[in-house]
Amino acid sequence: MLKIEEIHELIKRIDESSIDELTFETNETKLSLKKHKGEVVTSHAVPTQVTAPAPATAVVDQSNQTSSGEQAGTEQPTVANYDHEIVSPMVGTFYSSPSPDKDPFVQSGDKVKADTVVCIVEAMKLFNEIEAEVNGEIVEILVENGELVEYGQPLFRVKNV
Amino acid sequence: MESTRQHLIELLQENEQCYISGQELSTKLHISRTAVWKHMKELEKDGYVIDAKPRKGYKITSAPNKMSQNTLQWGLQTEWLGKSIVHKPTIASTQTLAKQLAATGAEHGTIVIADEQTAGRGRMQRTWHSRKGEGIWMSLILRPEILPNKAPQITLLVATVIAEVLSNFNVKPLIKWPNDILINDKKVSGILTEMQAEQDQIEFMVIGIGLNVNQSKDMFPADLKPIATSLKIQSGQKLDPIVMTQQILMKFEDVYEKYISHGFDVLKGNWLKYGYKLGEKVYIQTAKRQWYGVIEGIEPDGALRIKNDDGSVETLYSAEIKW
Repeated sequence: MLKIEEIHELIKRIDESSIDELTFETNETKLSLKKHKGEVVTSHAVPTQVTAPAPATAVVDQSNQTSSGEQAGTEQPTVANYDHEIVSPMVGTFYSSPSPDKDPFVQSGDKVKADTVVCIVEAMKLFNEIEAEVNGEIVEILVENGELVEYGQPLFRVKNV
Repeated sequence: MESTRQHLIELLQENEQCYISGQELSTKLHISRTAVWKHMKELEKDGYVIDAKPRKGYKITSAPNKMSQNTLQWGLQTEWLGKSIVHKPTIASTQTLAKQLAATGAEHGTIVIADEQTAGRGRMQRTWHSRKGEGIWMSLILRPEILPNKAPQITLLVATVIAEVLSNFNVKPLIKWPNDILINDKKVSGILTEMQAEQDQIEFMVIGIGLNVNQSKDMFPADLKPIATSLKIQSGQKLDPIVMTQQILMKFEDVYEKYISHGFDVLKGNWLKYGYKLGEKVYIQTAKRQWYGVIEGIEPDGALRIKNDDGSVETLYSAEIKW
């Protein structure tokens, strides 16, 4: 069981972090925390959304938009610096390279295409070569070589280029 | 071209006891009599002995024991498996070629088979010793319409198929989870399955099967001698790899169809019948833990069921096990 202090501490930590959502589950406890990040973003987004459809002021508003856009731009990367997550299609062991003595399929910073193999997930000696499925750049590798992964667990984060 | 040859083989096979005229073959295959004659010459190159009698026609008097697309299809009673066979006398790895063919659209049920692999491989790019004519080295291309997370079950399915076929040859095969085949504690067959899949759909699966058939003890390299065996060593008889391949393919198609319509449940009992070290204690390793556990069996989805010393039961999908 989690103590109330621990939950407070968690909330505080999440507040300060770039995480939007946390689900924590043990046999007897399930805790779900979610930031109302949506509201923060809309407070930036609302003015542009309202002004954009108005044709008469469109030109003027454009400049406003860019300035507010820049503001948002400086904040957004800390919120989400990726556009896509590559998730595991099955339970198994994550392998970052085709064999222990080979280089990893991809590393952080590598550009990938939809059909680039990014890793292998093995279960019951079935080796599933996972493709990126999107074009972009690998910005984060979320699991380590040899780690057990769950169905649907995010493995990589990819940013559009 | 391939399908005409296949059709021709079927016709000749149906008429094994009598002659079939060039005219009849020409009509049925929609090709000229000269083309029929050319096909016959090709079959002869593969080692068939063809008796051609004027005004009577053609009859096959003996089929060759040389492996080829034709000899493999001769007598192969399947609906879709092995309708397309790529046979190579020698190849680096059937698995590598099969993956390339699969990626470029080879149909469900295509088979790549070789007399010899110069760079046969097992999992994690380990080499698989596969010398000419001594065993079955083949890869099957499948496009199963099931969810990717169910695909590992097919690797257990293959193991039950091979174990069942081998039991017809006076040996007692056992399956080491998930799918190595052992006879008297030595490996006789290994299966490597590779897949490309999207989140909810399998693009293709390539099942590589290596089966030691006719090696004698001294043919294995020193490092394999203590751990590898062949059917010939175990059963005392030399076996025909062509017949054996056909039996595996026919059995596979049959069991695969059952699996697709009824799920893994129908295979579980069969797997357990051959299960290696059931009820015995083994040493298990994963990335973060090492421990001893007793093999209880397999779960309804094919995962390994382990009972720990403290009585807890856990399900393993992936682990290194020291048997």
